[in-house]
Amino acid sequence: MTVWKTSMRNFLAHKGRMALSAVAVLLSVAFVCGTLVFTDTMNTTFDKLFAATSADVTVSPKTAETVDVPENGKPEALPASVVAEVGGVDGVKKAEGGVMSMAVTVVDADNKNLGSDTGAPTIAGNWTDNDLRSMEITSGHAPRGPTEVMIDADTAEKHHLRLGDEVRTIAVTGDIRAKITGIASFTVTNPGAAVVYLDTATAQEKLLGAPGVFTHISVSAEAGLTDAELKKKVAAALGDPGAYKLQTQEEAAAAGKDSMGSFLDVMKYAMLGFAGIAFLVGIFLIVNTFSMLVAQRTREIGLMRAIGSSRKQVNRSVLVEAVLLGIVGSVLGVAAGIGLAVGLMKLMGSIGMELSTKDLTVAWTTPVTGLALGIVVTVLAAYVPARRAGKVSPMAALRDAGTPADARSGWIRAGLGLALTGVGAAGLWATTQADEASEGSLYLGLGVVLTLIGFIVIGPLLAGVVVRVLGAVVLRLFGPVGRLAERNALRNPRRTGATGAALMIGLALVACLSVVGSSMVASATDELDKSVGTDFIVQSNTGQLIVPQAADAIEKVPGIEYVTNYKVLAAKLTNPDGSTADEHITAADPTYPRDLRRTTTAGDLSKAYGTDSMSVGSDYAALHKIEVGDEIAVAFKAGETAKLKVAAITSDDTTVDQGAMYVNITTAERHVAADRMPKNMIMFAAAEDGKEKEAYAALKSSLAAYPQYKVQNQADFKQDLKDQVGQLLNIVYGLLALAIIVAVLGVVNTLALSVVERTREIGLMRAIGLSRRQLRRMIRLESVVIALFGALLGLGLGMGWGTSAQKLLALEGLGVLEIPWPTIITVFVASAFVGLFAALVPAFRAGRMNVLNAIATDG
Amino acid sequence: MTTAVSIPRHGDTGGRTAVAARARQVVKAYGAGETRVVALDHVDVDIVRGQFTAIMGPSGSGKSTLMHCLAGLDTVTSGQIHLADTEITGLKDKKLTQLRRDRIGFIFQAFNLLPTLNAIENITLPMDIAGRKPDAGWLQQVVETVGLSDRLKHRPTQLSGGQQQRVAVARALAARPEIIFGDEPTGNLDSRAGAEVLSFLRRSVDELGQTIVMVTHDPVAASYADRVLYLADGSIVDEMKNPTAEQVLDRMKDFDARGRTS
Repeated sequence: MTVWKTSMRNFLAHKGRMALSAVAVLLSVAFVCGTLVFTDTMNTTFDKLFAATSADVTVSPKTAETVDVPENGKPEALPASVVAEVGGVDGVKKAEGGVMSMAVTVVDADNKNLGSDTGAPTIAGNWTDNDLRSMEITSGHAPRGPTEVMIDADTAEKHHLRLGDEVRTIAVTGDIRAKITGIASFTVTNPGAAVVYLDTATAQEKLLGAPGVFTHISVSAEAGLTDAELKKKVAAALGDPGAYKLQTQEEAAAAGKDSMGSFLDVMKYAMLGFAGIAFLVGIFLIVNTFSMLVAQRTREIGLMRAIGSSRKQVNRSVLVEAVLLGIVGSVLGVAAGIGLAVGLMKLMGSIGMELSTKDLTVAWTTPVTGLALGIVVTVLAAYVPARRAGKVSPMAALRDAGTPADARSGWIRAGLGLALTGVGAAGLWATTQADEASEGSLYLGLGVVLTLIGFIVIGPLLAGVVVRVLGAVVLRLFGPVGRLAERNALRNPRRTGATGAALMIGLALVACLSVVGSSMVASATDELDKSVGTDFIVQSNTGQLIVPQAADAIEKVPGIEYVTNYKVLAAKLTNPDGSTADEHITAADPTYPRDLRRTTTAGDLSKAYGTDSMSVGSDYAALHKIEVGDEIAVAFKAGETAKLKVAAITSDDTTVDQGAMYVNITTAERHVAADRMPKNMIMFAAAEDGKEKEAYAALKSSLAAYPQYKVQNQADFKQDLKDQVGQLLNIVYGLLALAIIVAVLGVVNTLALSVVERTREIGLMRAIGLSRRQLRRMIRLESVVIALFGALLGLGLGMGWGTSAQKLLALEGLGVLEIPWPTIITVFVASAFVGLFAALVPAFRAGRMNVLNAIATDG
Repeated sequence: MTTAVSIPRHGDTGGRTAVAARARQVVKAYGAGETRVVALDHVDVDIVRGQFTAIMGPSGSGKSTLMHCLAGLDTVTSGQIHLADTEITGLKDKKLTQLRRDRIGFIFQAFNLLPTLNAIENITLPMDIAGRKPDAGWLQQVVETVGLSDRLKHRPTQLSGGQQQRVAVARALAARPEIIFGDEPTGNLDSRAGAEVLSFLRRSVDELGQTIVMVTHDPVAASYADRVLYLADGSIVDEMKNPTAEQVLDRMKDFDARGRTS
């Protein structure tokens, strides 16, 4: 009981000193809970959406793809007769034929794409009673003819569209120009899909390319019949189980969510990973706080021991304080996490992904997880300092308080740390030597973890060396104040080490990723320079195929020497050795080898473009022992089986089109019916000599009506690649910022507690003439040195990791190592400023300290 | 109140006034109204240059407060304090800091040294802070006088209590301040170490012409001084010149007795 009471009192007495630790716990817990709430809410949203949009039973062709844009731009269809057939089944209340296609782009009168840019699809279809379950018409009416269209209210609002405005729906069969005659609102949350409704006949003709066909049948059950029972009845009536896919509402919703689910899971685990890093960093802060509290309380603890407290009681009293800290931090963290989730939803809303707070989902596991994590981590972090407190001898009560200066880090620590770092470094070295990706990544993982732990263990020793070096380089400029700062940073190497290590972790990841990222860009640029010969590349932003009307526009551009069409066909290959493989065949014009230069290990690539010839990649050839002249049976999914002769084997030592199998488009056309022939995925164009500029401009303007495609020349393409990598890195840096913020709090915490600890010393220095400004500068310099120490270690470690990773990825074509020095140097310099920033408050408080109180002898 | 004048023993101090520090009608009060406590009650005092002055008095007599005010560590409620010709009452923190740094030396009872600096670094710290180069010859002399030549590279934790106080004294002397204030400088030492430090202070007055003001409650320590001022309830009630320990003790007993009967 007394243990509890003293802990409680100590906790309350030192709440100021605990504050930053609590904030660290709060931030980490908030991030975890925020992630959980956010992803749960997204799940709820999609659950509701898919449940609302799926009929009791949905019938669709067996071969229909779930989300992918179909190869030829036209979804698989079933005839109207099936609708009638299903309608006649006993127990069916209603069977409605529906048309739905995602192979569309909708633009407004200014050729602006109305679709979402967050990856949500644009959907075109016919308006059926089934849609009434998730939407209601809020103005106008459903389309009644080929010139009428209805759009969803969110899209209308986002693009300021009103009844009577014209929109153009771009489908593979042509453009559909129609006036908006109706606007329908979702009654559930629509996270961002743009939806347009056409009248049924137009939808069938334009989206599916044939009258009287549907993509699916929405079947509703008579009262009293479950979905599963209905499915059984309909299946029995339809007979042939191979022709149709039947899904109950539940199954359809699950299938819909599956396609989202992996994305949500990746996001969830990635964010939880970053929360984990923040926790790791927070541990250092908590360890430091408790170490300092225990050190400051040595006398008090000695007294407790002298009057009969057992070691265990003292130990426990510290742990109880940790539990209290954990509880306070976690409870606030859970609340902040929910706030964070709401904030994230708003943020997503601002970039076009609408989520409603009505769907906010806080599962009971979320606060439990948050609390458990926060408390367990805090107690674990406080365990070592608590043990140290238990070891305080009763004699400490009699000795002068004074903090033990020069806590020498032991030889064991040095040995252990060096051993870990050594083994880790060996792992990294082995990574660079590995010739198997799987083996190499094992070494890399091992190397990263061991060097990190190693650096953390020898951190205090490195602190001594690095701070001295930094002192010699930087602090000497500041004279005696600099020297005092250096000595202060050195006086407790364990503390400096732990504070720096916290910063090290975040910055190591930043450095590693920036090395990998810029190597990625450099390698790709290098590869592009070597292999890409085309002048212009045309492809979609959103994974849409190139519709024929756009392809025609490209063909007609003046100043273009030639255009290369590039299609991808799914096929099942039967190799000479009898093995089979599902592959994608690239069908291109024979000019393609000029657009993309490939090296061959055997044969002649131009021959592969001959009739019923093909090429394969070297890895595939080696795996299936294929040689030039062999015949492969290629069963095109969209057509018949063709026997193609291998005329060339391309080297797989590349990152562009690695493993691609080429055939001439004319060859593909011999075996695939025209209306089943895939549309172009990419198009390449070469300008006539000296007309590059004009051709580029003409090409761009020719595609003005088709905003879903981008035209790029080589420079644009490279820049785009760079931007994409840069964007990805920025997101990761943003998430790492959390860990870095916690680390900076750690620096603030260390300084603030040090200032308290050194009250008398500061008083003494002020008494013998240290000015306030000098005092503040001293604390700022100490902070800068700690920050630079962390930065140096982190950047060094991170560059090591990044370099090893690049050497490993070289196996996958990431051949060029580029260390982004500007980024590295910026981060290093920024760390110094972070140090200055962290010292602001502690320095201010030290400056305000009353000299007399600080040196008062009695009391 | 006092008229004691001593002839400066150093040629280079001849131009200065004979009074190193002067307090006139100094009042230091804490709180207001009912809870107002007067620590110093219209105190007048002159600290004579080149002399060793001890300030004595029972706990709560205001002796430490007087010293803090004279040294520019604490502000006064009213009255003036001059350090030589400079009025320090009303000076801003920046000026006061400079004054402490350049013209005053301190020796505290405990925690005199920075644990991160070794002995010689501690000794030269005030000059380092000021950005001045210590006078090598003088430093040598001071170090030798305190007998620390072989301990200069030691950290405070590696020195005994007496040695630590001697380092503190050396630090106070090294900058050649006009006046050194000691706050119970031997309070934490055993009698032998205390005597060592005190005789050293005495020598620095006799041989180096240093002015020293020391607060103490130890009659033996006070007996090293040229002059003892007695404080009681915030006022100077008596003074004694060239005291012996017995005389000081008798006088103290006297005060104690009076304090109890009144």
